[in-house]
Amino acid sequence: MPPMKLELRGITKRFGSLVANRDVNLTIEPGEIHCLLGENGAGKSTLMNVLFGMVSMNEGEILVNDERVVIKDPKDAVANGIGMVHQHFMLVPVFTVAENVVLGAEPVRPWPFLDRIGAAREIREVSRRYGLDVDPDAVVENLPIGMQQRVEILKALDRDVEVLILDEPTAVLTPQEAEALFGIMRSLTAQGKSIVFITHKLKEVLAIADRITVMRLGEVVATTTPAETTESALAALMVGRSVNLVVDKAPARPRDVVLAVDDVYVEDDRGLTSVRGLSLSVHAGEILAIAGVQGNGQTELVEALTGLRSVASGSISIRGRNVANRSVRSVLHAGVGHIPEDRQRNGLVLTMSIDDNLVLDLQHDPRFSRFGMRNLKAIHENGARRLEEFDIRAANSAVLVSTLSGGNQQKVVVARELSRDLHLLICSQPTRGLDVGSIEYVHREIVRNRDAGVAVLVISSELDEVTALADRIAVMFGGRLMGIVPPSTSRDQLGLMMAGSDHELVAAGAAP
Amino acid sequence: MLDVAGGDHDSGPPTTGSSVLLRVAIRIRAASTLKVTALAFVVGLAFGALLIILTTPALLRSWGGLFSHPGGTIALNAKSIWGDYELLFCGGVFDPRAVWAAIQHSNNANWTTALSPLSSTLTFATPLILAGLGLAVGFRTNLFDIGGQGQLIGGALGAVYVGFTVHAPAPVLVLLEVLAGIAGGLLVAAIPALLKAFSGAHEVITTMMMNYAMLNLLVYLVSVSPFQRPGQQQGESKSIVPAGQLPKLFGSISSSLQVNAGFLIALVAVGAVAWFLNRSTLGFELQMVGANPDAAKTAGVSSRRVIIIALCIAGALVGLAGMAQVSGVDPPYVSPAYGGTIGFDAIVVALLGRNRPLGVLFAALLFGALDAGGHFMQVNSPTNIDYSLALVIQAVIVFCVATPALMVALFRLRASATTQAGLASGGWAK
Repeated sequence: MPPMKLELRGITKRFGSLVANRDVNLTIEPGEIHCLLGENGAGKSTLMNVLFGMVSMNEGEILVNDERVVIKDPKDAVANGIGMVHQHFMLVPVFTVAENVVLGAEPVRPWPFLDRIGAAREIREVSRRYGLDVDPDAVVENLPIGMQQRVEILKALDRDVEVLILDEPTAVLTPQEAEALFGIMRSLTAQGKSIVFITHKLKEVLAIADRITVMRLGEVVATTTPAETTESALAALMVGRSVNLVVDKAPARPRDVVLAVDDVYVEDDRGLTSVRGLSLSVHAGEILAIAGVQGNGQTELVEALTGLRSVASGSISIRGRNVANRSVRSVLHAGVGHIPEDRQRNGLVLTMSIDDNLVLDLQHDPRFSRFGMRNLKAIHENGARRLEEFDIRAANSAVLVSTLSGGNQQKVVVARELSRDLHLLICSQPTRGLDVGSIEYVHREIVRNRDAGVAVLVISSELDEVTALADRIAVMFGGRLMGIVPPSTSRDQLGLMMAGSDHELVAAGAAP
Repeated sequence: MLDVAGGDHDSGPPTTGSSVLLRVAIRIRAASTLKVTALAFVVGLAFGALLIILTTPALLRSWGGLFSHPGGTIALNAKSIWGDYELLFCGGVFDPRAVWAAIQHSNNANWTTALSPLSSTLTFATPLILAGLGLAVGFRTNLFDIGGQGQLIGGALGAVYVGFTVHAPAPVLVLLEVLAGIAGGLLVAAIPALLKAFSGAHEVITTMMMNYAMLNLLVYLVSVSPFQRPGQQQGESKSIVPAGQLPKLFGSISSSLQVNAGFLIALVAVGAVAWFLNRSTLGFELQMVGANPDAAKTAGVSSRRVIIIALCIAGALVGLAGMAQVSGVDPPYVSPAYGGTIGFDAIVVALLGRNRPLGVLFAALLFGALDAGGHFMQVNSPTNIDYSLALVIQAVIVFCVATPALMVALFRLRASATTQAGLASGGWAK
């Protein structure tokens, strides 16, 4: 297929009364990397879902090389040379790379037998052409995330797509892996393919984009190039006001140790040791941030700290009281606030109202119940007050929490966890998937609590967040602590530690 | 269970699988329950009409003459179908002529005829309300308790035993029977509850097995002392003494009007369960576990405790249904045939009532009316329409109302479990 120009004209998509896209125009030129930037709910994903045929549009048209095409489903999109790599990979873990790539379009020679050798050869050829180094015979579940992503890209390339949509591709990658991905993206565009790159990360946009389209509230607000803009200008375009990307905080004044973790081992669901002899302590009035690529034991560590997972050995104490292997309720009662990693799975009951969600772990609090009977009036008053206090955007506090945007859902969780007397605040990925405005808000609340004397433990895979928030940074890799470093540590050094290099080695410059 | 369970993990509309069927299902589920149930009822009647035609030879033959005299054919069929449905209505809701006759000539015989549809509807509905409420409590906790039949038998055995052994004044005896019924159902449910809480054994399997266990226990008990009624070969228990039987509400008019104080107990239970679910902290915890067990765990709710409590409440209410059935409706003893299919019908009633107390009440009344009307129709129909027609209509209603919820739930579950993998492979297939 020759290089292809893709044009979206006047796309409007409504969900009921909500307009997700309003008269959007977007042109993807052959061979360009086009960044699509915008807050959550700005309509980027909807637009791409329209383009990929997953959602039908109300108005507008799609043109390929100036000819109108109809895309009813993803099959049509692929036939028209449009491919998409979703944020969550769609691979069969137990299949090999080759099997995954050909799945859905298997070479059967002679029919009906799968031509494995031919498939592997085909994949080697495609990966060589685009500089994607992947072993076609490797089993996908054994591959690191960055490799799995390459398999997804290979899947698209194997189907001769000319325009590749990458939905938040760097969210799961280490800085090094992200660099490698950028290399691949450049080599693809060098061969005439074009890429639509959806991201939140402003630095990446400026580093990789040829052109940038910023969306806000369903409309395109600007199309620009990296040369013509700056990080803060882009952020301002996204939220419609100037934002402060640096967290404004005074130096920490740490006091007594609140959380002490000593030589803790934790096993994951499969019985494999995922936290190996980890020790750290968090003081009142400081923020300790744990950096690391997801899946290096952070989730299990937090679960162990909050009583959700048993500890195989080692001790955890909060203000001198041992809480290892205690019930979740007793940990919460020890003055722990927990903002879980996945708000929809662990933090909220989506089918309940904001009011109810604001008291999920406070229902036995005398403020909200007496003699086993819920005080609905107090619960509702509390909801109305928190709505105001935390600027949760909803018609009223009785609406279902599922109707809120991600940022507002997170505010509900934050509001709830901060409405107790806290000694320790554990925040897992506190701003995942949030827009710039909400990120700023959540960060301010975290710092405010630190200043009020709460010990704060932040677990985040966003390096920007870690360096902005932390008073000390602990880096986790493979269930171990790679070291604790000051927030002034360079990104490169943190990146190397996140990839498994020891702190001392990195500092000595001996690491690869 | 179905419409409260799980969560919408994607913000967009679920286009996953995007089959026409699923889209229809989603639309049906989004519409108001009342509207859907009413439409389902109409579909049920239409389906029933078709069956009336197909099973009545005279009507079937008449279609041969459709082209020679179309008017006559249509009229004959319509008249016959109308006649049967009129009987269904008169037997299940009320018979205007009988009511009018009773008002004009007020006497016991006329009033018996006039009140009989209401009485039998409420009689059929009573155990369904109680058992449906119990199962709904389980479903709201995402526990699919299908052991209604076993718990019903447990409740009835407890009530009967107290009813023929204890000698006490009527109110005390009835109260003791209520407690025994609750205890019986609760014990039967407690076994699966403990198994689930401590070993993770799935409640669907264990409650189902308890049904068989209880049925066999019943068959055994009625053939041995102390339950067996002396001189009975068939296997029947002794009867609850008259003082221990729930008073009939229209007993002063005629003893054949079966509706009894059990219905009042059921109404109280509707209010109590509604209060429990909406106002109590425990009810709130149950629903948290039902709607999102992970969030409940993170919030410090012990799912083990909640599972035990929810299943025990379910068992207690179903046991109460068993008690109301045996001590309120003739005969006042248990036999191997006891309970019919109440325990299973209650599952459907809970589903149809969307696991909400008021919904269960109305669903049970609808089922009761169809049961009562069906029996009346079978007796009085000139075309020998069978009672099963009412069951067919019930089934069609449940299909129309419950399957969309089921389908959406299943598809949602799959969509979130595999993170739209189905969609991806669909998309990539050339």
